[in-house]
Amino acid sequence: MRTMGFRLRLALFFVATLVVVQLLTAALVYAVTRRALVAEGERQLTANAQAFVAQMDDISARVAGNVEVLSLDYALRSAIAERDRGTVLSVLRNHGRRVGASRMLLVGLDGTVEADTGSTVPTRARFPFPDLIDSAYDRRTAAVVAMDGKASWMVVVPIYAPQPVGLVVVNVPLDDALLTHMQQLSALPRDIELAAQAPSGSWHAVARGDRRSGLVEGATAGHRGLPWKPLLTEVDGKEYMVLAQRLKQPKQGDRVVAILGYSLDAALSPFRSVAIAWGALLGLGLCVGLLGAWLTARSVSRPIESLAATVRRIAAGDYRAAPELQRHDEIGQLASAFGTMTEAVRQRESRIRHQAMHDSVTDLPNRMAAEAVIDQALAAGESAGGALLMIGLTRAPEIVKTMGHALCDRLMRDSSERIRRIAGDSYLARTSDTQFTLWLASADRPAALAAAVRILDVLNEPYQETDLSIDRLPAVGIAMASSGEVPASSLLRHAEVAQFAASGSASALSFYDSATDPHRPERLSLMGDLREALDCNALSLHYQPKQDLASGRIDGAEALLRWQHPRRGWVSPETFIGMAEDTGNIQRVTRWVMASALAQARRWLEQGLPLRIAVNLSARDLEDTALPEHIGRLLAIHQVPSGQLTVEVTERAVIGEPDTALRTLRRLAGQGIGIAIDDFGVGQSTFAYLRHLPVNELKIDQMFVKHLATDANDQIIVRSIVELSHRLGYRVTAEGVEDQAAQDCLRSIGCDHAQGFFVARPMPADALTAFVAGHAAGLPIGSPS
Amino acid sequence: MRGLLAVILLLGCIGPAASAEVIVHLSDSAGHAVHDAIVTLTPDAGSAADAATAPRAPATHVIDQRNEAFVPYVQLLRPGDRVVFRNSDNTRHHVYSFAAIKTFEFVLRPGESSPELRMDAAGIAAVGCNIHDHMITYLFVTAAPATAMSDEGGHVALGQLAPGRYTVHVWHPQLHPGHPEPTRQIDIAGGSDTVHLAFTLSLMPDPRMSMDREHLDY
Repeated sequence: MRTMGFRLRLALFFVATLVVVQLLTAALVYAVTRRALVAEGERQLTANAQAFVAQMDDISARVAGNVEVLSLDYALRSAIAERDRGTVLSVLRNHGRRVGASRMLLVGLDGTVEADTGSTVPTRARFPFPDLIDSAYDRRTAAVVAMDGKASWMVVVPIYAPQPVGLVVVNVPLDDALLTHMQQLSALPRDIELAAQAPSGSWHAVARGDRRSGLVEGATAGHRGLPWKPLLTEVDGKEYMVLAQRLKQPKQGDRVVAILGYSLDAALSPFRSVAIAWGALLGLGLCVGLLGAWLTARSVSRPIESLAATVRRIAAGDYRAAPELQRHDEIGQLASAFGTMTEAVRQRESRIRHQAMHDSVTDLPNRMAAEAVIDQALAAGESAGGALLMIGLTRAPEIVKTMGHALCDRLMRDSSERIRRIAGDSYLARTSDTQFTLWLASADRPAALAAAVRILDVLNEPYQETDLSIDRLPAVGIAMASSGEVPASSLLRHAEVAQFAASGSASALSFYDSATDPHRPERLSLMGDLREALDCNALSLHYQPKQDLASGRIDGAEALLRWQHPRRGWVSPETFIGMAEDTGNIQRVTRWVMASALAQARRWLEQGLPLRIAVNLSARDLEDTALPEHIGRLLAIHQVPSGQLTVEVTERAVIGEPDTALRTLRRLAGQGIGIAIDDFGVGQSTFAYLRHLPVNELKIDQMFVKHLATDANDQIIVRSIVELSHRLGYRVTAEGVEDQAAQDCLRSIGCDHAQGFFVARPMPADALTAFVAGHAAGLPIGSPS
Repeated sequence: MRGLLAVILLLGCIGPAASAEVIVHLSDSAGHAVHDAIVTLTPDAGSAADAATAPRAPATHVIDQRNEAFVPYVQLLRPGDRVVFRNSDNTRHHVYSFAAIKTFEFVLRPGESSPELRMDAAGIAAVGCNIHDHMITYLFVTAAPATAMSDEGGHVALGQLAPGRYTVHVWHPQLHPGHPEPTRQIDIAGGSDTVHLAFTLSLMPDPRMSMDREHLDY
């Protein structure tokens, strides 16, 4: 079900409230009216009952009066006294008509009926109500009697002539006509009936007024007693209040009561028109209320709906001003608050956006903004390429550490202003804490260079503050963009690489050259491939023989790693070893090399070739404290004597991490493994330092060997190294032996081993086996030993 | 309403032995003495007292009409007695009676008297005035020797009675019509007996008091 709209609910609430209030009012009014009417009915019934009795008394007085006058008639007296029955009867009839009696009797003093206008035959019967006769002498006697289902009003008057001679009984029928007559003559209620009790005990109506409402049946229905107090009951399906009233009666005869009714319906009838009018008013009120509620609700909900639409629009990022509401009520206030809020949100968002895209110190765009702008410029192809200048202040971290951020911030601001002066309208951004980036659209190399030089000029002027002058040591890296080739992020990286390069150079200025970029992204994928290659044994070892110069025999070999990449082809060890060192993969590589080399050494031992195997260790390997144990295990596994193995480390590796490296080296040496210092002579190691190391062998760098035959200096250097080494107990190997002359020279100097193309190029293990065999066979006879 | 309410028999021994006496005390239900009541002692048949009394000479009684009232209210007569109605008022009176023992009517001018009426039959004649309804008088004609009318004190004394059984009748004009007369049987044992009898009578209002019966209730 669809939820009801605010408008509908509001309208329905109004209308429901109206209806409920009206209905409650109606119920209240009805209840109050009804209660008042019931009370009024009780009062009226009681009063009416008394009035009815009084009227009956009135009638009896009138009838009695008439009869008394009659009784004083001399003729009647004489007729009665003389018992002249005929005369008596005629006189009685005559007077009976006068008083409205249906029947008149003359009763003798002894209680026998002497004359009866209702019956022509003298009966001499006893008058059936002797107590009426008895009381007639004392007071006026009248009573209601019921006989045979009919009620009548009986008035008894004694006749004096002059002493009592008899009694005249006047019988006035109490029938419907009389009751109606009484009602018409007086203010008696319309609902009045007389009920007589049959010998069986049940009550039945003997006379009804003009209403004929059936009060008797209603009042006595359900075998209730007679209602001597006002009783609310139902008569013929209508609500009535009924009251029974006793009437004067003789002891004999059936009991007769008057039952008075008060119709609540009739009493309510004047209110019915009021109710109809009220109902019409309610209907009209409802219509007006509904209409009003709907209109009000609409005037409320329309703007709210419009506000809701505006809010949805704002949520979607559309901050256009909401339609103005010309209202001064709560909704107008709400709308205006919305407007204010929208503006505030818009400003805040633009501020956040600005902060997100700008550096707070210099208020320059940040790296993200710069990337976006440059990308846009590149994509738009506005210019064929451009130059990206990365201006780094290499001393910035140092300045922060010594002078604090505040000063550094001021310095950066000053720098940005200086660069801005040079850059003009070009796009300047601060891409890192220490770097600014300047995008020179459509600038060529010379223009970029010129700009870079000028920038360096202005930044080389020291930053001045009170008693403070700081050199910034700027460096500028320049990356040239050829249109649409690289994204801005790469361009930035290139520029940064160039800037790093520049910061080490004297000119403090460098162009990016992809060929020398050590940080090319493919390196990362190469490492993945390397790990894969290690797992799949896709690497291989080549061995470069080492010749014992004295004997001319091949008695050792240096294991060199070779990687035939499935896509890239041959990968230079310089490339991937450096990367493996940087990315922490070198230890795995070393262990693989060690395992392969020892396995090969084992095979050669089995073939009767006790070659001394040299394996290169990187500086990182020396940090691996588990390496000596590992090598020990491998030696044991392959049953290779530790003396057969030499590890080669560069001078730099030993110098870089002296303590750990030394420990590792000593443990290796302790295991009987030979330690050789590789590339000796180009580093900064000294013999003094080497004395602390468990070194067995030095390998003279090829730089000194290449031109050994022709260069006297090199000869002196090599001779000195060899002699010194020998004195210190080191064996010496010369690398890069490329010709006979060098070999001869080395032999003459007394160098122990030679290694180089002239001896042999690195070769696979099988080839080496063959080479060693061949070499041994073809040893130049008589070669100096 | 049932008439006689109580009879109190008082026995005493007062007076000479030769003459027995009956004294009847009459009162109404309110305790007031009742006068104008006629008490008759009738010896029962076969009784020793049933003896003929000596005849006496007829008397003439005058019933006066003064201030619109008959005086006296009740007149005791012996058969053969005569009665004369005299108008002492200055209005006319229409004297009448429908009594069985005597029917008559005269119109009496002021100061006029009726002719003598001889009342031969025993009985009661109520006499009224047709002009003035409240006027009434009773002529009580009886031959019974032991008959007397109560005095203002409500006493009736009947003496010279022979011993025997008697029936005592009490009559009063205001006794309830249709009800039996108060009656009592007494025995007189000796000649000097004095028998006291008390009757309480239930009486209707005095008709003479009401000036206008037509408006009795008003």
